[in-house]
Amino acid sequence: MEEFFQQLTNGLAVGGIYALIALGYTMVYGVMKLINFAHGDLFTIGAYLGLTLLVSLGLFDKIGPLPAVILLAVMVMILVAIIGAILERVAYKPLRHSPRLSAVVSALGASIFFQNAIMAIYSPKFLVYPHDILPKAAINILGLDIPVMRIILFLTSLLLMLALYFFIQKTKIGTAIRAAAIDQGAAKLMGINVDRVIMLVFCIGPALGGAAGLMVGLYYGQINFSMGWMYGLKAFTAAILGGIGNIPGAMVGGLLLGVIEALGAAYISIAWKDAIAFCVLILILIVRPTGLLGERVAEKV
Amino acid sequence: MKKKLFTLGFLTLALVALTLGSAWAKTVRIGLMCPLTGSWASEGQDMKQIVELLAAETNKAGGINGDQVEIVIEDDGGDPRQAALAATRLTTKEISSVIGTYGSSVTEASQNIYAESGILQVATGSTAIRLSEKNLPLFFRTCPRDDEQGMVAAKTLGALGYSKIAILHDNTSYAKGLADEAKSLLEKEGKTIAFFDALTPGERDYNAILTKLKSAAPDVVFFTGYYPEAGMLLRQKMEMGWNVPMLGGDATNNPDLVKIAGNKAADGYMFLSPPVPADLDTPEAKAFMEAYKAKYGTAPGSVWAVLAGDAYRVIVEAIAKSKETSGEKLAAYLRTQLKDFSGLTGKISFNDKGDRVGDLYRVYKVDAAGAFVLQP
Repeated sequence: MEEFFQQLTNGLAVGGIYALIALGYTMVYGVMKLINFAHGDLFTIGAYLGLTLLVSLGLFDKIGPLPAVILLAVMVMILVAIIGAILERVAYKPLRHSPRLSAVVSALGASIFFQNAIMAIYSPKFLVYPHDILPKAAINILGLDIPVMRIILFLTSLLLMLALYFFIQKTKIGTAIRAAAIDQGAAKLMGINVDRVIMLVFCIGPALGGAAGLMVGLYYGQINFSMGWMYGLKAFTAAILGGIGNIPGAMVGGLLLGVIEALGAAYISIAWKDAIAFCVLILILIVRPTGLLGERVAEKV
Repeated sequence: MKKKLFTLGFLTLALVALTLGSAWAKTVRIGLMCPLTGSWASEGQDMKQIVELLAAETNKAGGINGDQVEIVIEDDGGDPRQAALAATRLTTKEISSVIGTYGSSVTEASQNIYAESGILQVATGSTAIRLSEKNLPLFFRTCPRDDEQGMVAAKTLGALGYSKIAILHDNTSYAKGLADEAKSLLEKEGKTIAFFDALTPGERDYNAILTKLKSAAPDVVFFTGYYPEAGMLLRQKMEMGWNVPMLGGDATNNPDLVKIAGNKAADGYMFLSPPVPADLDTPEAKAFMEAYKAKYGTAPGSVWAVLAGDAYRVIVEAIAKSKETSGEKLAAYLRTQLKDFSGLTGKISFNDKGDRVGDLYRVYKVDAAGAFVLQP
């Protein structure tokens, strides 16, 4: 039983990261009906920018760990948001009225471009965040040893997700985003600047992805230029699992995927971990094609 | 009109001069297939730097029998599909021999392509057994085989007094092969295999696997995969507060392992490997290490890249001594006449299958400062 709960916490920690990345996929899909395959690489960029800023500014020595992490997170999120906006402007906007396939190909191209650019700029080697900058203590909850950092990691992702949820649901800009997601043409007629909404979506999604990259870098330490591919794939799966285009769905899907993986690894086979996760995805898509929280939308004729 | 004629005449002259020029300066072209991109890119970059350095030295010393050496490089991306493309491209570039590559599955994808084109292939880091069991006459390798490593692993684990052993691999043809080999040898010796499974390479979080491993309560964990995963395992194992000793295969021989795990987590980690570059004690090796440092400012990372240097050296030796460039002739020379050639990693001879003969494996332990210490 203890092993079960240990695996559950393992799964939730990984799932929190998946969920945070999945939000980027789901937001872009919700508004533009486009899978931004370069999203995983924006996550990688977040991890690399975090390391660069951390090392070059020497923040941890100057202002202490907690303010340093917060400041770092803000800087990384802003920078990745700018890159996301540029990506939209260069790779997607010119193709907005082309067939959807063109945009998908453009997304794949952007992904390959980012990966190779990171490799060319930073070297293909694994880079490592400085060791022991964060506390390594573990607390004991009901007989389980849980590292403090993992709890902070999980709570931070949860916080970011909730902030996004309320931003979308309760603010005027959030309403505009939702309107554009339902019907871009009608939203335009209502006086919403759809171009600006899309630009905003391409700032928020990447910013969250970049924050996830920074968190992975800080917690796991090791980063490399191709790390975004695997995380991107998993987060994409999580988004579909929860119902793509649906923000609470991305959160639920991410956490669920992490837990399924951990339990699958524990009780079936480690080598089959990914296969199990994808099998669950297929099963859910057969039973509920729109994903767990997705709603069936009537097709316009 | 006159001007046009003049230009045309000039161009023709230039063209003739060019073709004549290249005919005069005869070159020997040697291919290098290595992972310049992909997850093993750092190994590939080292391989490229080493082979280019050695080729520059050869050319400075007057080339091979007076011919200059030219290295033709193709990137295999550490990926079997891309390797097949890279190999096909290389076969069209007038090379008689090729060096490479690092991973076994990647080498396997290229073997038949070279064999059909009559090109001599000297692999550098591909240790899977079956690569040389196919009896391809033009295939050689400067690295040892997994069965030898499996034997050394079983011997080492026995000598250290462990009886309940967990084996973890990563499903690549190399890691799986080594894990199977070690498992059957250990079972023959009456040891208990408490755990046998594979992880997915390229992930960051291995806590789920470590939790499962821990509940199997082994005396020791034998991990046969690559260094990025080994580093993460060590680090997360320490953070879990689990103190089981860990032994790794030769693919964990890379200084980046310590960088990833951190000195504290890597302390006490053991691995099997051919000697690391710093422990190479032949005069050739010392001269090479100095030259490398002078040119690139650092020491070469792992021995696998240095084995690419050895592959280059045996190819050059074969071309120089046999005065031939056809793949078959070079292979015949390597198989029958090259005996105890002093390479960078020690004496090199090949057996009938193209495998390097001789005992190459050592046991290393990481010390508290993160250095690889050769165990007696």
